[in-house]
Amino acid sequence: MKIREFIDERIAFSELIRSQFSEYRVSERLNIFYTLGFVALAGFIVQFITGLFLLIYYIPHPQYAFQSVQRIMNEIPYGWLIRQVHVVGSNLMVAVVFLHMFSVFFMGSYKKPREFTWFIGATMLFLTLTFCLSGYLLPWSQLSYWATTIVSNLPTAFPVVGDCLADTLRGGKSVTGFTLSRFFGLHVALLPPLLSFLIALHIFLIRRTGISLPPWNASEGMKGSGQDIEGMPFYRFMVKELSMVMLYLAVLFFIIAFMPTLFLPEDANTPADPSKTPEHIRPEWYFLAPYEMLKLIPSKFLGITAQLIFVIIFLFWPFIDKSPERNILKRPVLLWTFIGVTGLWLLLTVLGGY
Amino acid sequence: MQRLYLALILLFLLSSPLYGKEEWKRAFEEEYLKIFPVDEAPKRNVCVSCHMSEIMRPELRTIPSQWSKSWHARNNISCHDCHGGDPEDEKNAMSPERGFIGKPSFKDIPQFCGRCHIGILEHYMKSGHGRSLRLTGHAPTCVTCHGAHEIQKASIEIINEKLCSKCHSYERAKTMKQALSVTERLIVDTDRALSTLKKKGMILEKENEEFFRTHAEFRALFHTTDVKLVKERTEEFTKRLGVIETRLSHYFKELNFRRNYSIFLTLLFAGMAFLFYLFYKERM
Repeated sequence: MKIREFIDERIAFSELIRSQFSEYRVSERLNIFYTLGFVALAGFIVQFITGLFLLIYYIPHPQYAFQSVQRIMNEIPYGWLIRQVHVVGSNLMVAVVFLHMFSVFFMGSYKKPREFTWFIGATMLFLTLTFCLSGYLLPWSQLSYWATTIVSNLPTAFPVVGDCLADTLRGGKSVTGFTLSRFFGLHVALLPPLLSFLIALHIFLIRRTGISLPPWNASEGMKGSGQDIEGMPFYRFMVKELSMVMLYLAVLFFIIAFMPTLFLPEDANTPADPSKTPEHIRPEWYFLAPYEMLKLIPSKFLGITAQLIFVIIFLFWPFIDKSPERNILKRPVLLWTFIGVTGLWLLLTVLGGY
Repeated sequence: MQRLYLALILLFLLSSPLYGKEEWKRAFEEEYLKIFPVDEAPKRNVCVSCHMSEIMRPELRTIPSQWSKSWHARNNISCHDCHGGDPEDEKNAMSPERGFIGKPSFKDIPQFCGRCHIGILEHYMKSGHGRSLRLTGHAPTCVTCHGAHEIQKASIEIINEKLCSKCHSYERAKTMKQALSVTERLIVDTDRALSTLKKKGMILEKENEEFFRTHAEFRALFHTTDVKLVKERTEEFTKRLGVIETRLSHYFKELNFRRNYSIFLTLLFAGMAFLFYLFYKERM
């Protein structure tokens, strides 16, 4: 009790908790999809903690990287658990971020005044993918080496600057120890603080603009803020969010228990061999759609330009779609575009898997 | 918005006529996959290109395709590793100065293969087959049982009535096969266990090395015709494989522990998710 008083006298911590968790009220209409952002944040925290543990034993050098990862898996007590959580967690986190973006889009939560929140969120999606790309190379296995070879060759599609871009990314003409050093630096030193900063900014913007409400049966009109005097205290919604986080962790451990090789196939257990291209090499599932798209469009430039256009449209979508209507069900053209693009993405992902 | 839709449709139409052309797919894969580190790029193999060309006699043209399916090819053993020469220099590829040996005479085949398979050569030369080759120049050599270029991973099935009875009765070979078969079964099981563990992320260098050594020595024993020696040595191999097997069973137990531990965590978090949900509902 004394400690609490000691702290409160100085920084009024109890007051902060009360104002942010009890007095801050949100609508009871917030559905399960509204918890996905928090689940993604929890996923990031899990990645951060497991990543710190992995850092203790991992050696970022082509000669030792594979061995050090094997050591983590087979010799360090519970090293297998830490690595599996990191590997499976990264894939699940991407899936949750995708779902979060889909639900935000579907519920029109990106509309005024939340355009910046969307922009920061979309940027974080690409940062998460960069995180995955940079981390994928680190075990220096056949799988990681060749998947990185493919992805790091993609920028060469840009005219004039393409080769320079790819060379800068790799630190040379091909994936070597320099690439490993660069990707390691990116993965552990640059991206974590950058993503943390963006998460803080994202949360700040959410608190400033309020949580949006589902557009159906909304009486609040355009703004659709979830902040509601009559609603429930925020801590109660957090319990719902925590329930989803626990479910996320349950799914994560379910995959580790019953599908331990889902993200670590045989090529992930073979050291990288630059002179031997494995059969059926392909990037991770979240890069399959852009990879397949580049494969199918018979012009390197056109393929990469199309993707770049999609990325720009995606990032700036709230500034392009200025219609005041938030309910996508009342906008058939947008609804079918959404279904078409999602379907195309899924189709390309499936095609890329074969 | 309408302009945006039009632009997207235009982009789609522009790219669709040539959608999925085979040549593009091939070019794509070559361009995106075949970029090697400068110092590690595989050089052109003139042995293969020449042997596959029209200038080669038809019976010699099939060699590259036979080799490509072989156990040697899977382990990066190429033409020049056995036949010498320079596979990168068309003019001097078959120059003796570059170590070209070419095709060995029938009598020299065991020495030719034995440069790498040293233990096997030793056993073979002491065997009836080896002695017969030395004395008469006529006996089964390596290629009689294993083939010349389409060499597959050796197994006990190479000792079979059809092959052995080409030259003599099968009885002695059958006794040998029976003596070897128990250990062979252990070898196959251990090999399978190691590969299962590898698939599950357990690369056991020490056990793999131990198994490789035992396996190689055991395979060398196949080449003797001394039944007594086979019986003595197989016991030793069985013991050695038993030690490896005990260690592997420990790793399988570890895998089981991992699965059970993960199941426990799954249930724990699923339970907590349920409890949190109940708490949320109750408060509502």
